[in-house]
Amino acid sequence: MRKRNLQRGLSAFWWLTLAFLYLPLVVVVVFSFNATNSAAHFTGVSLRWYRRLLGNEEILSAFANSMILAITSSVIALVIGCLIGYGMYRHRHRKLGWLIVLIYLPIVLPDIVFGISEMTFFVQIHRLTGLLQPGLETMIIAHVTFQIPFVALIVYSRFVGLDPSLFEAAKDLYASPWQRALHFMLPTIKPALISAFFLSFTLSIDDFVISFFTAGPESATLPIYIWGAIRKGVSPEINAIATLMIGAVAIAAVLSLLFSYRRPTRSTANHRRGTEESEP
Amino acid sequence: MTPSTMAPDTGTRKPDTAHVRDIDKSSVREASSIELQGLHKRFGKTTIALDGVDLTIEAGEFFTLLGPSGCGKTTLLRILAGLEEPDAGRLKIGGRDITDTPPHKRSVNTVFQSYALFPHLSVRDNLAFGLRMRGMPLERRNAKVAEIAEFIQLGDLVERRVDQLSGGQRQRIALARALVCEPDVLLLDEPLSALDAGLRSQLQVELLRVQKRLGMTFIFVTHDQQEAMVMSDRIAVLDSGIIQQVGPPRDVYERPVNAFVARFMGHDNLYRITARGEGGRLSTELGELHCESPGAGELLLVRPETLDLLPGEQPGKNRLLATVGERLYRGSHAEYRLDIGGTSLQATVNNRGRHLPEVGERVTVAVAAEDLVTLGQ
Repeated sequence: MRKRNLQRGLSAFWWLTLAFLYLPLVVVVVFSFNATNSAAHFTGVSLRWYRRLLGNEEILSAFANSMILAITSSVIALVIGCLIGYGMYRHRHRKLGWLIVLIYLPIVLPDIVFGISEMTFFVQIHRLTGLLQPGLETMIIAHVTFQIPFVALIVYSRFVGLDPSLFEAAKDLYASPWQRALHFMLPTIKPALISAFFLSFTLSIDDFVISFFTAGPESATLPIYIWGAIRKGVSPEINAIATLMIGAVAIAAVLSLLFSYRRPTRSTANHRRGTEESEP
Repeated sequence: MTPSTMAPDTGTRKPDTAHVRDIDKSSVREASSIELQGLHKRFGKTTIALDGVDLTIEAGEFFTLLGPSGCGKTTLLRILAGLEEPDAGRLKIGGRDITDTPPHKRSVNTVFQSYALFPHLSVRDNLAFGLRMRGMPLERRNAKVAEIAEFIQLGDLVERRVDQLSGGQRQRIALARALVCEPDVLLLDEPLSALDAGLRSQLQVELLRVQKRLGMTFIFVTHDQQEAMVMSDRIAVLDSGIIQQVGPPRDVYERPVNAFVARFMGHDNLYRITARGEGGRLSTELGELHCESPGAGELLLVRPETLDLLPGEQPGKNRLLATVGERLYRGSHAEYRLDIGGTSLQATVNNRGRHLPEVGERVTVAVAAEDLVTLGQ
């Protein structure tokens, strides 16, 4: 009897946690379909705010900036992070713990500190060389900087999970260094690369603080636009943007999860099936 | 059903040998000999893996590197594959010096201990990997893969994914993947160590058969002396980076050159020689024994299976009086620990329905002079 009560208590706790996480999101989504301007009363369903959204030049340009920033920075971070991840793997025997800590640091550093230092850095560079005017360019560099550690760690852990003699087998089977990269390493870490890309993309779309400090006057992203708009009061239009962003981030996160888990789950399922088949 | 989907090794022998002969004609190249000269290898500052290895391996030989872990056998194999560079010494295959040739340019293939099959490729693509990297056109590649799959009797495994295979199947795929490249030399790094005993002895037989039919030079690494004796034309026993003895299995087992080789081959009956007399007469810890052709060594090896146990006390030449200390009955034979004046001696006696002496019984141990071997420390 006692055990049942405990079970119930734990289960209630679980639902309470979920409610705390998701109810606010639900409220935003619901109110984005509100027929009137009120943030307190739901008066009826309408797509009015979404239509207004599509007519708003500022929002559309912010959306375009967000996408350009997220895709460009993710691609660059993927290439650099992949090389770093491989480098970390290749030289893992050389006591490089400090390097891993070094690469973790930006992850644990408060965004605001990171953002301010990026801004100060870019301002100095601009003052000295005239390059790197605040704008999309500086934002891309800043985003790449904080995305790299994530990519590198995902790629590194994929390599660490491989049988080291696979690398030797590729050499042994006549693959030149380039062939090894193309026919062995890239296909083997493909799931990790895809999931790293979606993670970077999500991080970039999500980011406000770092973007805020490195943006120029023309390069407002969606979060920056929302921040500006919200000072005039929360409009249902903002709720609509938020709903779209929730949707986009959720899709990217799910895709990222799918690609990082697809291989292991499928292969274990197959392995179970395979052993049944092969050992009748 | 194709023959290859049936149980291997039993009903399929006849049709199997037929297509094997086809392979022999079409695809087997001249086997290659190997020459190792003064190989040295060190890891870090202190660990010496190889300490001057000179070795010649004949073309078409099944050659085994045998030794305990850390003896340098795997390092030697990796140097042959090009996965490790020697600090000093030269390495020739088929008369050509390949010491500085990178692994992907050596006509040497390896069957790895973990099999190292590529998880992102199907079995077929795994088999074709080496040929593809060498730029063989697709059609010839497919033909070669089909040929090897038939030869190793892989049957419908070719269509599977690597993670759908059992241990024994992976082992055979790994072997086929290396063989299909038709290397000058095939290297095998403890390829059977991950398998259970039954499968292991079945694959030992299969591996031997493959090697004999292809006539390829095989270099096999193992720490299992039984496996080494079953498989090899010749064995090199290694310890602390030095080759202790090279020879056919019978030589290494019956005439070990030193105490290490003897102990590694499973011999415990080693006795110090205290004095030497005329005609091969040796005074040992056991007593006085005659050895047919004594060498200079200071130890005497008495192999347990060369001993006869006679009931009661029947003194004579090459006979020792003993008390049975322990008896382990093993069905086909019995193992004895005998006590001879405080020194212990192991004896193995075949069970031919005769009287098997009991613990505490007095017996006479008889040994032939030609079965006694002297060896160095």
